[in-house]
Amino acid sequence: MPQLLGVFTEPAHIAAAARRLRDRGFTDLETFSPAPFAEVDDALLPKPSGVRGWTLAGGLAGVVTGYAMTIWMANNWQIMLGGKPFSSIPPYTIIAFELTILFGGVMTLVGLLVVGRLPSFRAHKAYSARFSAEDFGLVVRCRERDVAEIDGLMREHHATEVSLVEA
Amino acid sequence: MTPPPAESVAALIRPAPVARDSQVNRDLLRVMDGVSLGYFAVLALALGFMFAAGGVWIYQVYRGLGIAGYAHPIFWGAYIVTFVFWVGIAHAGTLISAILYLFRAKWRNAINRSAEAMTVFAVLTAAQFLGIHVGRIWKSYFILPYPNQRALWVNFKSPLLWDTFAITTYATISIIFFYVGLIPDLAIARDRSTGWRRALYTVLSLGWQGTARQWKSHNRTVLHLSGLATPLVLSVHSVVSWDFAMSIVPGWHATIFAPYFVAGAIFSGFAMVLTMMIPVRRIYGLEHIITDYHFENMSRFLLLTSLIVGYAYGAEYFMAWYSGVEAEQSSFWLRAFGPYWISTWVMISCNAIFPQILWFKKARTHVPTLFVLSVLINIGMWFERYVIIIGGLSREYDPAVWGVYTPSWPELIIVAGSFGFFCQFFLMFLKVFPVVAIAEVKEIEIHARAHGGGH
Repeated sequence: MPQLLGVFTEPAHIAAAARRLRDRGFTDLETFSPAPFAEVDDALLPKPSGVRGWTLAGGLAGVVTGYAMTIWMANNWQIMLGGKPFSSIPPYTIIAFELTILFGGVMTLVGLLVVGRLPSFRAHKAYSARFSAEDFGLVVRCRERDVAEIDGLMREHHATEVSLVEA
Repeated sequence: MTPPPAESVAALIRPAPVARDSQVNRDLLRVMDGVSLGYFAVLALALGFMFAAGGVWIYQVYRGLGIAGYAHPIFWGAYIVTFVFWVGIAHAGTLISAILYLFRAKWRNAINRSAEAMTVFAVLTAAQFLGIHVGRIWKSYFILPYPNQRALWVNFKSPLLWDTFAITTYATISIIFFYVGLIPDLAIARDRSTGWRRALYTVLSLGWQGTARQWKSHNRTVLHLSGLATPLVLSVHSVVSWDFAMSIVPGWHATIFAPYFVAGAIFSGFAMVLTMMIPVRRIYGLEHIITDYHFENMSRFLLLTSLIVGYAYGAEYFMAWYSGVEAEQSSFWLRAFGPYWISTWVMISCNAIFPQILWFKKARTHVPTLFVLSVLINIGMWFERYVIIIGGLSREYDPAVWGVYTPSWPELIIVAGSFGFFCQFFLMFLKVFPVVAIAEVKEIEIHARAHGGGH
């Protein structure tokens, strides 16, 4: 199936083109942006990113580990210190807090890799260095007969150029 | 099947014109190009200090901590002072990256990368001092809760253990934050480099192409890391302050310590960012990216945190007097008029008095003034920790634990070496990684262009 690459200079234009294409039933879309623009990403993926779940899981694992580790270790070999209870919650809260952040942060990174499908060393055929300069790219995989329609639609949305991606 | 119109097909097969690279990419990647003689000279100086300190440290491991200036009753000396100093420096990066990100303060974009880098390097520098201070470096793993045949566990009620967890977490999270922010910029560098650089950036950028899925998860990751790092940055120096405040040593046992230390950390961190970035901006001609507006905003932070720190100095004296505790009163009297009076007055002048010139716009926008002031603040903040730690320990309740501490030459060389250690990391960072967050600067530029505004 042919792939069309439309090049845009403004995020609003590419976002509008992508939304329009989705509405027309073209779902095999990909964008390249030089910088983060929520409107471009939301046009393709309207749902919130799944990284959220990873952070939550990491944070919860951290707080449970923090309390469980400190309480268990203090009771595994009991040594009385300053007449304080073996399971002293206030000081252990500091450990639990730090581990919440630590596990939450590490799992957020894991979430980025899993949800963002990184690393991915197979470069997209349509990708080029211009998309890490200032241009935006919108790639559509479509049937032969839709090429003309998509071409027109992209130009209508201020695509500066539209080209076929070599297979 | 309807064939496409002929004219459209002709347009499709015409080769695309080669797009010119963006000005931002060229300006910011240029910093990494080539190395001048001056760069080598500064790097050699930094490495010289670092290796000198390394040599002295090996000598100290061989001879023992006796060669440090430790003498009864003072066994926390210049190493702990410098540890706290570097942990403090490490706070600006996360503050700029995380807290200002959550507040959507767009001006952070020009300085966040270098500040994050400084955070990572400062935490690494601080971590060295834990190993140096314990003396028997081969036993430093005792601080970790690991299963052992004696079935002994660490004491989680000790502030030193909290500190271990806080510093480890802070180091890990700041490295993750730094790296995640770098990924899109590494891809920019990858697309424009050759040879070993290209190989390095290809691996480190993880095949980043700026697709919707990648940006979407990246944005969410940065948001979550900011949310996690914000309470973390406030906790880290609080925990460091509890190393002191949880004890009953006069001058240390104060509830104001946590906010006092956090404000001081942000104060010194911003000063260090200014100290490093003013020459970098000048040398690499980045005046249009890191503008006087950025420096002015940072100097406002300096002024605010200076006022908080100044208030804390005052509050400490007031509480010492108002508490009626003789040991506390004498400790604070000696702080100003005792054997460490020079340190105290350096601290008060550099941290609470000199920064008051920042009330004037002329001072906030005069870069040489800011540079001199930032260096003075760094000096003042080192002395603040010196005054608190040494001043506190030298006069406890009983005359049997009164004494005077003077740093020994090995301590001074190792302290000087820590600056070399920090600077060599920063100098190498300048040549290997983009010094400004390119994608974020571009975001603002593209946004401004789309809405017809200027940068």
